[in-house]
Amino acid sequence: MISPELKQVILKQLNLDDFDIKDETTAPEVPGWDSLNHINIILAIEEHFKVKFKSYELLRLKCVGDLQKLLDSKLTKQ
Amino acid sequence: MTSFIDFNKLFELLRYQPDDPLVFSTALFLILFTFFMILYTLFIKNNSFRLGLIIFFSIYFYYKSAGYYASILLVSAAVNFYFGKWISATENFSYKKLILIISLIVNLGLLSYFKYTNFVIDIINGIGEGNIEPLDIFLPIGISFYTFKALTYVFDIYYDTLKPTNSFRDFALYLFFFPNLLAGPIDRAADFLPQINKEPFITKKELGLAVFLISIGLIKKVVIADYISLNFVDRIFDFPLRYTGIENLLAIYGYTLQIYCDFSGYSDMAIGVALLMGFRLMENFNYPFKATSIADFWRRWHISLSRWLLDYLFRPLQMKYRNLRVFGNMIGIFVTFLLCGLWHGAGWNFIYWGALHGFMMSFSLLIQKPKIRLLKLLRIENTKFLRFFQTLITFHLIALTFTVFRSYDMQTVYDMLSQIIEFFHAEVFIQFVEKMPLITGLMVLGFLFHFLPSKLFDYSATIIAKLPLAGKILILTVAIWLAAQFKSADIQPFIYFQF
Repeated sequence: MISPELKQVILKQLNLDDFDIKDETTAPEVPGWDSLNHINIILAIEEHFKVKFKSYELLRLKCVGDLQKLLDSKLTKQ
Repeated sequence: MTSFIDFNKLFELLRYQPDDPLVFSTALFLILFTFFMILYTLFIKNNSFRLGLIIFFSIYFYYKSAGYYASILLVSAAVNFYFGKWISATENFSYKKLILIISLIVNLGLLSYFKYTNFVIDIINGIGEGNIEPLDIFLPIGISFYTFKALTYVFDIYYDTLKPTNSFRDFALYLFFFPNLLAGPIDRAADFLPQINKEPFITKKELGLAVFLISIGLIKKVVIADYISLNFVDRIFDFPLRYTGIENLLAIYGYTLQIYCDFSGYSDMAIGVALLMGFRLMENFNYPFKATSIADFWRRWHISLSRWLLDYLFRPLQMKYRNLRVFGNMIGIFVTFLLCGLWHGAGWNFIYWGALHGFMMSFSLLIQKPKIRLLKLLRIENTKFLRFFQTLITFHLIALTFTVFRSYDMQTVYDMLSQIIEFFHAEVFIQFVEKMPLITGLMVLGFLFHFLPSKLFDYSATIIAKLPLAGKILILTVAIWLAAQFKSADIQPFIYFQF
């Protein structure tokens, strides 16, 4: 499940009012989430949740569900 | 006693000949591939035989094109197979990274030795006015392509998005696969490996598509690319000052069409040949001159390379420099395209070409926001008018960069551009059309077909699919006959073979 908070950060960064983001959603399926905008979304998440991802962790993500899991693992470590 | 077959001649024909690779558009390939397909179809249910046959034919195919350098391919397969296993079996992340770095040093080191040694010697000689003798190095054909293919396997295992295969045979087949061995598409191991052990199946529609792709690829390569290059483009690029500006401009358009037809024609044939065998390769071109920006061009041109660069070079750079935000993207794009240029060959023309693309895309990132504001202000956002101009401008920028790509010294580019600016003589166009009706016709047809709606091509493939087998064979025969009419005495290598 994608947490409403993560969803909100992503939607705000993409200037979207609403979009159905599920675990299996991939970046190209979301309007505006292209390879260039990707860093803005990652930075927005890092700033909002006060976490720091490693490049390697980010490069292996396949879908938003993976991103949620990575974020959860960082938040539980804090 | 005299024999009907001169075995010595046959042996000579079948053995490795320098500068005579086994290209899809030769009669020899056609004959050998026909025999191959007969055996392949007869033993289609026998998995081991079928896969063994592909490997055997692929090794022969590479031997015919690269001689004993074919052994490099075997080394690359063995090394990368074990690198994959090693990375996957290693738990510690730092060790994983270390193995990846060793793998990159081995793969790129081998590639660099063959490709860039003499270029580096040249640069050193230039800087220090030294006199180091260039080495006698033979560039094994296709090495840039199969090195990148092998690296997708290692990278994906490193990122944990692919499990290594336990079968060396399967990995070797992926790497050796003759349709995409010499000039791509650079298919991903992750997409190809799962296809290997499935019983080959090709739908009626796919058979139509395969026949269409092989026929159109052959026509693009032999009828359009080779003909306009030998009879027009090469002459102007060799001596631009002897011709008027309009002829120079037409040669630039001609080369842009030539390189597209040459390379996408090869990809079409590769995809078609693989499809006949029941393998689906990735798309490599999607009407690149319809692009409305340089970034859009790279989503349509040599797609398998641009996606490779995006995933394995740009993204890591972008992530590393993400705190710099838009500048992080700009650095990532510029470095990626500079190296993309270098991948194409050891020459300043390729480096300038890559740098130009990198610069144009980075710059467009910088002006993106004011550009959108301006378009909104002018109320031309999302209009056909804007799309038309964007396509026109993008095409001319691409054509300009290909002029740099084609010219071994920048003096040629300067001469061509100065002829266009200072000695245009538009009236010569009429004489050109009268003197070279075939060249004009082929260029008009080439561009016309490119800009027609893509639906038309899908429709043609569907019609071919509906034809009986004899009809499909007739289409292929007509394409081969047409190619034979235009074929020059010498075999024209594919431009991308040199990379």
